[in-house]
Amino acid sequence: MKVQRLNKILLYDDGAARTLNIEEIAEYLRKKLAKVGIEARGNPFAPYPVQDKISDYAKRIASVKIQDAAKRMSFGQEPFYAEIEYEKRRILGKTRTSGVLYNGLELQRIFFEMIPRGERSLEFVHIFFNNRLFATWDENDRRYHARVSLCGIPSIISTTGIVEAPAKPREYYLLKQQYEMLGKDLLELKDRFKGVFIDYEDERLTEVVKGYAMQAVFYSLVGDPFCQDKGCRLYNAHWQDELIFAQLESEYEFCQRHASFLEEMNEN
Amino acid sequence: MRIEKIKVKEDKTIKEFIDELSLSAVPILLELDGEIFYPDDNYDRKIQAGDRLAVIPIIAGG
Repeated sequence: MKVQRLNKILLYDDGAARTLNIEEIAEYLRKKLAKVGIEARGNPFAPYPVQDKISDYAKRIASVKIQDAAKRMSFGQEPFYAEIEYEKRRILGKTRTSGVLYNGLELQRIFFEMIPRGERSLEFVHIFFNNRLFATWDENDRRYHARVSLCGIPSIISTTGIVEAPAKPREYYLLKQQYEMLGKDLLELKDRFKGVFIDYEDERLTEVVKGYAMQAVFYSLVGDPFCQDKGCRLYNAHWQDELIFAQLESEYEFCQRHASFLEEMNEN
Repeated sequence: MRIEKIKVKEDKTIKEFIDELSLSAVPILLELDGEIFYPDDNYDRKIQAGDRLAVIPIIAGG
């Protein structure tokens, strides 16, 4: 297996979630990758206090909103003034994103341009934590699918995606339909399923995100973020119960192969 | 698809390189001489025989 030498892992966070502790994730990565520098850089928009620059990013992010999940978006769509203003407020931390779906590849491209040119290399692992829900187009069923992560430069991890992308139990969706038809309180339904899936502001979020950060690291190291072992943190979970098992309940953190890989990396 | 380094056999543009490998519809980045870039932002950029380009697939999870 060819291994990429890593210079530094850089973490960015624009206030993804109250329960997301970036410093704890940085400390975890320091322990797992003792020979690689880890730096938490904070809000990626912070170096751009100039209003024009914020407006520019807001416009570009607003232009990659998906209007219809069953229709492949055309590029260069002109956002409405209100959409730009909303994104501006979001960037400035005055509101939180909800109910908006973004084209993940285009969002990643916007974040790519925020990375200093000298750090756009495979030696640097850039991880953007954010709460925007993003999706990628699937040509097989011709619709967008919400995602937790998108590994690339940078790798982006969505805290909203952790809640919304992996499917909840089928029974939850059936009951949700019934609750909506009967006008019943959905919070009551969530209470019935408490702990069965990761929810917004879930106290388990930081622990879960550690595994996704490791997927981004393995993507840069060996080109493959995932593992087939359902008990390994690198397992690509598509269901909430799979996610909870891989990240929280499995008796081991990494399968033997990936654990040995990390051990060897720290020794050499 | 994994990150793959490909040696360029003859002088060409990035666009020609991408077309030859049928990668125009695949979400990827390229790396040349330690610098990563989006191919479609650099279609006219010239690459030379002997250059080693890394093709970096973008991979979605969850």
